[in-house]
Amino acid sequence: MDPLFQALSLFRRRKYEKCIEKCTEILDKNSYDEAAWLLKMQALTEQVYVDDIENDEDGMAEGLLDDSAIASVARPGTSLRVATAGGGSGGLQQAMRPSTQSGRPVTGFVRPGTQGSGAGSLEQALKTPRTASNARPVTSSSGRLVRLGTASMLSSPDGPFINLSRLNFSKYAPKPQMSRALFEYILYHENDVRTALQLAAMATEAHQFQDWWWKLQLARCYYKLGLFRDCEQQLRSAMKQQECLESYLLLGKVYTKLDQPLAAIDNYNQGLTKFPNDRCLLTGLARIQEGLGNLEKAAECYKDVLRYDAMNVEALASIATQYFYNDQPELALKLYRRLLQLGLASAELYTNLALCCFYAQQYDMCLTCFDRAITVAKKEELADVWYNLGHVALAVGDLSLSYQAFRLALSYNNDHAEAYNNLGVLELRRNNLEMARSFFQAASTLSPSMFEPHYNVAIMAERMGDLQSAYQSVNRAQQFFPNHSDSKDMLNALKVHFSEI
Amino acid sequence: APKPAAPQGRKPPELPQVERSNWLIHMHYVRGEFDACMRLIKEQLVDSGNLCEYALYVQGLILRQRGRIQESMDAFQQCALLNPSSVNNLKQVARSLFLLGRHRAAAGVFQDAAKQAPDDWEIAHNLGVCCMHMRDFAQAKDHLRRAAGLRPHESTLVQLGKIHIIENDLQHALEVFRRAVELAPENPDLLSTLGLLYMQCNQYQKAFEHLGNALTYDPEHTKAILAAGSIMQAHGDYDVALTKYRVAAGNAPESAAVWNNVGMAFFGKRKFVAAITCLKRAAYLSPFEWKVQYNLGLVHLYTEQYASAFHFLTAAIQLRPKMPALYMLLGVALSNLDDAENCRLAYDEALKVEKETGSRSLDPLVALNYAVYLYNSGDASASGRMLGEFERRLQERHGNAAAAAAEAPDAVETGKRLAALLNVGESLLWRTEAPAAAAAAAAGPADSAAPAVHRAPAGRDQPKRFA
Repeated sequence: MDPLFQALSLFRRRKYEKCIEKCTEILDKNSYDEAAWLLKMQALTEQVYVDDIENDEDGMAEGLLDDSAIASVARPGTSLRVATAGGGSGGLQQAMRPSTQSGRPVTGFVRPGTQGSGAGSLEQALKTPRTASNARPVTSSSGRLVRLGTASMLSSPDGPFINLSRLNFSKYAPKPQMSRALFEYILYHENDVRTALQLAAMATEAHQFQDWWWKLQLARCYYKLGLFRDCEQQLRSAMKQQECLESYLLLGKVYTKLDQPLAAIDNYNQGLTKFPNDRCLLTGLARIQEGLGNLEKAAECYKDVLRYDAMNVEALASIATQYFYNDQPELALKLYRRLLQLGLASAELYTNLALCCFYAQQYDMCLTCFDRAITVAKKEELADVWYNLGHVALAVGDLSLSYQAFRLALSYNNDHAEAYNNLGVLELRRNNLEMARSFFQAASTLSPSMFEPHYNVAIMAERMGDLQSAYQSVNRAQQFFPNHSDSKDMLNALKVHFSEI
Repeated sequence: APKPAAPQGRKPPELPQVERSNWLIHMHYVRGEFDACMRLIKEQLVDSGNLCEYALYVQGLILRQRGRIQESMDAFQQCALLNPSSVNNLKQVARSLFLLGRHRAAAGVFQDAAKQAPDDWEIAHNLGVCCMHMRDFAQAKDHLRRAAGLRPHESTLVQLGKIHIIENDLQHALEVFRRAVELAPENPDLLSTLGLLYMQCNQYQKAFEHLGNALTYDPEHTKAILAAGSIMQAHGDYDVALTKYRVAAGNAPESAAVWNNVGMAFFGKRKFVAAITCLKRAAYLSPFEWKVQYNLGLVHLYTEQYASAFHFLTAAIQLRPKMPALYMLLGVALSNLDDAENCRLAYDEALKVEKETGSRSLDPLVALNYAVYLYNSGDASASGRMLGEFERRLQERHGNAAAAAAEAPDAVETGKRLAALLNVGESLLWRTEAPAAAAAAAAGPADSAAPAVHRAPAGRDQPKRFA
């Protein structure tokens, strides 16, 4: 069989490893075989390719030192950076639904771009746990890109495939087949955005600015370099030539970066007129609404997604979470079971199923789901599973079991602030005041934006008569949950104490 | 004496007067302009070399209002050093100690102050409060009574009432709070506390009166709304209670007590699904509240979901083990779950707990449900004995048969049917009517006789987190 045909077939069947071997053989025989060279390049790219529209991560530098947003104090509801606390349903939200950062309720689906509201200062960012505001540990600047580059170096032991500095781009730029593959190789495999940009600029020029694809790639490079306005320009120009889904998605991301959620919503809506009912656009819309704190609207968008794509994991999980925290665990259970039928079997899913079963009073399924979750879970996840088991034990009234469950959660994850808080409450019931206080202290230092430990410390201090500490703690609780009626009452009572002579 | 004329063009040297701008400091302070006041105080203190007593004093007051008690105490201590003869300074130092939770030290300083000013009601009041925090109730009461004698003030009476409540002396507490309300008739907190006390003494008419007064002064007072609503619920005015709760739920949406009462109001209207939803939200918000669990168990018994009812009732028992009614309902649930063994144990436990706690008026329903169960399991003679017990308790509680039939018609009806089945219809209670309902096959769950709506008073619970 012809080795090139074989390599092509391997490439089509996504057997990149073997394809690369084959191409290397061909190139060894004839080092001027451009077809094999091209194919090997593409195979190498495909091996490490990650969809960069979905892969959006803010490092610490982007989160804190980069100020591309125009308005520093935006009106509420027009910015993604201001956490809209207790958004929507009358302030009950925060009491029902746990939140990650101050005011951001937990989402149903974690993706690489999930950002809680970022930390305020560099000190704070360095002090908080590394996964507090992002799906992955935060690095100094967009870490994933750096890591991808280094990983690709490791995978080829006998040196890099192409020495970029020795390539003459002006030779490749006019050839469309060559240049496109080369560009993707440089961008995704080598992660050399600057060189990629150089090539893209030359190629655009060579095509007399008539090729929308190159404009899109230029925009992509600008985006990665943080030049958002240039990126927007290129995208607009590309859109004029060719309506393309990717450009709408990229533009939405640009507006998110510029902290202009309303512009992003407009953009997505415009995209939806061109590509009616497109799943990606609808999902983007839902994400923006979620970021703005409009959980109801986000759920509506996710429901639209489900209408056209009934297997969308993100939409299913998000709506299920929404139902669960809105007192409808039965509906959440239905959706999570659908996810199970789709073939997902993760610890998170089983835990969610178990919780839904328990709160929907389907007691026969609950503990088996927890069992399954424990067998499937990794160490960090085990902490959450045990934490939730502790809650179930609490609701059954078995306080000692729940105590042990929370303890186990702590043994798997030392930084589990919620478990510390609940242990503190249990200790308080046993009248071990000192233990309780230290647990609350631990919880509030680990997760300063949780209002519960602050409030609990305040209650304890008030009972002991130490009104100064009570005042300080309850003030902190108020800061993170302004609508909490009990802490409001306590604050008023303390103020009366302080003003009495 | 005639003074020599001052030479033209030279003003007399201005002597630095220590208390120069006290009036201005005071003006700023009473207007609440704390920032301006602090600025002025700082100037004044620099000018006078930290010798201006009033500036230090006001600084202490402002710092205290901002919650910085430790710093304010330092200021007051400086005041006391500058002017050791002032009772006021001593009082403020002691008060700061009190606010910091150092009650023993505060009491000591107050006693020193009392030596200088024996007839100051504030000192007596504060001494009383300190003693109360040190759990020395007898002395606390003495001090507070003295304070009230020197000058009656409602806060003194409130503290005195608190001590009575802690000692579970409701009659005296009622008296004290009544006097407090006379002193401050427009204070909704006092009015609602008095109303709750009347409720605990089963004087619902008076309770309602006071709660109503509280609501006229503050229509959004959550505590008063809850208490008034629960009285309405007890009289079956569910719709009125629900409209009241709507206000409370807007103010305190995360209060388990509100949701519990709303749930039971729906239950009263026989809207079981809505009731369960509200009660489950209450249970979610406050997992340690046994009343919510009890109510959930009860509602699930009504909807004939016995497995869930069992679950909630056991949870309630874990949280509050000494409640006969819980064991009785558990027995009802178990008898429907085909667990005869444990069912009998549950009923026995209910009787045992009743005996242990020694409650004054025994619940007739426990006996009735036990009798129904015994009859259903074929033990007719034991069932007859239990029915006799039921009858005895019914009479004890309601007096005569007519009153019993009026207040708990379902229970009396079920009792009659059972009596007819057992052929023990010769006793006092059953003789009023002929056993007409003899055709009834087997008595159903008799707990339907009394829904036993439990109302949670407005309490403060620690919020929990759920993931």
